[in-house]
Amino acid sequence: MPITTTRRRLLAGSAAALALPALARAQGAVKPRLTAISQWSAGSDGAAITALGKKFEEKGGIWQHSPVPGFTTEMMNKLRAQIIAGDPPACSQLKGPEIAAWSKIAPTVDLDAVVAAAGYEKVVAPDLAKLHKPWGKWIALPLQIYSTNMLFLSKRAMDKAKADKPPVTWADFNDLAEKMKAGGVIFPVANGGTRADDGQKFEASLAGISPAAYRAAIMNLDKKALEGPEIKAAFAQMRKITNWMDPNVGAQPYATNLKRFVDGDMGMMIMGGWAQGVLKNSGFKFDDYVIAPGPSDNGKPVFLLNADAFIFWQRKEPDLQAGQALMAQLVMDPAIQTMYSQITGSIPVRTDVDLSGEGWSDGQRRTAAALKDAVTNNQAVLSLAHNMAQENGLTAAMIDVFTEYAKNKTITPDQAVTRLAEAVEGSR
Amino acid sequence: MTNAVLTATRPGRPATSDMVRRLPEYLMIWVPLLLSAAHLISFSIWTIWISFTPSTLVPVTGWVGLRNYNSVLASRNWQIAFDNLLLFGIAFVLLSLITGLVLAILLDQRIRGENVLRTIFLYPLAVSFVVTGTVWSWLLNPGIGIEKLVHDLGWSSFHFDWLVNRDMAIWTIVIAAIWQSSGFAMALFLAGLRSVDADIIRAAQIDGAGPFRTYRRVILPTLWPITITVVVVQLQFAISAFDLVRALTNGGPGIATQLPALVVYDLMFQRSQLGRGAAAAVLMLLILLAVLLPYAAWRYVQRRQATHA
Repeated sequence: MPITTTRRRLLAGSAAALALPALARAQGAVKPRLTAISQWSAGSDGAAITALGKKFEEKGGIWQHSPVPGFTTEMMNKLRAQIIAGDPPACSQLKGPEIAAWSKIAPTVDLDAVVAAAGYEKVVAPDLAKLHKPWGKWIALPLQIYSTNMLFLSKRAMDKAKADKPPVTWADFNDLAEKMKAGGVIFPVANGGTRADDGQKFEASLAGISPAAYRAAIMNLDKKALEGPEIKAAFAQMRKITNWMDPNVGAQPYATNLKRFVDGDMGMMIMGGWAQGVLKNSGFKFDDYVIAPGPSDNGKPVFLLNADAFIFWQRKEPDLQAGQALMAQLVMDPAIQTMYSQITGSIPVRTDVDLSGEGWSDGQRRTAAALKDAVTNNQAVLSLAHNMAQENGLTAAMIDVFTEYAKNKTITPDQAVTRLAEAVEGSR
Repeated sequence: MTNAVLTATRPGRPATSDMVRRLPEYLMIWVPLLLSAAHLISFSIWTIWISFTPSTLVPVTGWVGLRNYNSVLASRNWQIAFDNLLLFGIAFVLLSLITGLVLAILLDQRIRGENVLRTIFLYPLAVSFVVTGTVWSWLLNPGIGIEKLVHDLGWSSFHFDWLVNRDMAIWTIVIAAIWQSSGFAMALFLAGLRSVDADIIRAAQIDGAGPFRTYRRVILPTLWPITITVVVVQLQFAISAFDLVRALTNGGPGIATQLPALVVYDLMFQRSQLGRGAAAAVLMLLILLAVLLPYAAWRYVQRRQATHA
């Protein structure tokens, strides 16, 4: 069932804009214009934001998007320079706790009225909503959701292992990896060597072993939980994973190995749903792989939440204010979220979007189902490796430990636990 | 200029008209000099100030004493970076010195095609470090580079995985850096070798010294001022090395090849901890001063000796 923008929704959005006096004055008088910066420049990400820009122009706006390629931090450096110069973009990509941190250094737009008019708050997961209204008011809008611990299984590698079911627990995962190894899969785990990649190996291990321990240790930095037995078990599981990876990967991104993964020389990949967008963009078929929720020892899916969002910076120009109102409506629109997620491989933020229709993959449907399950069972947690759980400084200090552990096999899980606790202490 | 010098040497004359005439010269020299000095000094002072503030995302005022320094010095990243700097600095400077000297001596034998060879050896210097780093990262990658080539040629037990071996990775940076800059050392040494007085060499030969002895006892001792220049230039490169490492290993595997400049960049632009990044930058400045101040002192002493003689 395709989703269309209903007239009522659009009217609601416009009414919201009218409710904001400054925006109302603006929208009547001028052509909406939006200056935006993001890291999305190429591949499926670039295609998606370009499509969003087209929609913006269709609604009569002027779309001025300046992508800053590379890591999110590269985009942040430009954002910082623009804020210091007193010329922030009308809207920029920013996510997780960074929204709260950055909103302290420059004034943001109060989006409460627009969000209320669209009825958006009801259809956003509560933990997620909290990140976008750090001081009680909405200042940013989430756009799409990924889980960083989805398990991609190569069909050909599964055939070699004579397996047909995705593993549910870590024990299953380890079994399957052994079977793959015995069946001739050279590296049962497909991987990249970037910092985020190594971070994902750890967060997937810990969250799969105990979401509660993850919440306490990683999200709340509870000192006792940080030195608890689950952390040690997670490091032990991560060691197993690293032993199945290709040691020659160096610092290459995961995408370099996608062909070997599809060919069945590599078996399983722990990665976010964006890998589906990249696989699709590289010309591989949905039949080449299976996407399942990452291993979870209690059998119920654990969702390591990563959500991209836009934050809106205060501007005086009436045309930019009109542009912000229009952009806010678009970002919340189910049709736009559908279009966006179908390109990138994510799932929509809105929980009321139906994914049964054409254009969605089984992987995306499973991701959406996993999110629903995880939220009901309180097993949806925020991803550390993708800057959702902590601010940059702390995240980087913790990932130092994970990336060193991934590459140096002489570090024992016990030592790693101590180092992690020290890293947290050192950068608080 | 000739005119100016002539008038300037004329004693006891009011110089007003001279000053006016020479104004463009003063402007040419002093304005850029003052501007760049002010630029350099003001930003250095600003960085030092930031290193004592609690700045994170953006610069803020406030005073935290040595807290930033303590946290940088206590971090594993910095400790690894400092150890690597010692190893890299010494190995790189010594080896590039030796390579450059050997190349220069070989080229000095009046061989055919010297110009072509000299260009080839100097050429890496024209390539940016990012390019050097990227190319060597392909060559040294065991999966696609030299190791694979040798395997494909049939020697399957050949092992060369330094790039992904955390104990040896720092040496890949040494290799690439030497490839890039030993040509520079060679050029300076060659110039030095060519400037040795031919009479002295002939005198040595008449006294019965063979080529080896001539080099060791007569020519090389005249090269030591050049050697010191090469060492200082290479050392300051080693201390501020950034682009090469970033392209070659990006501090990896893990954080095994961190260097101070990478730590500064990381803290400032990846972790948004401006205060700590500034503290690390000031520490780097102190390391540089530890190299440059003795050099400046040596130059000063030398000049005094020269004037006294």
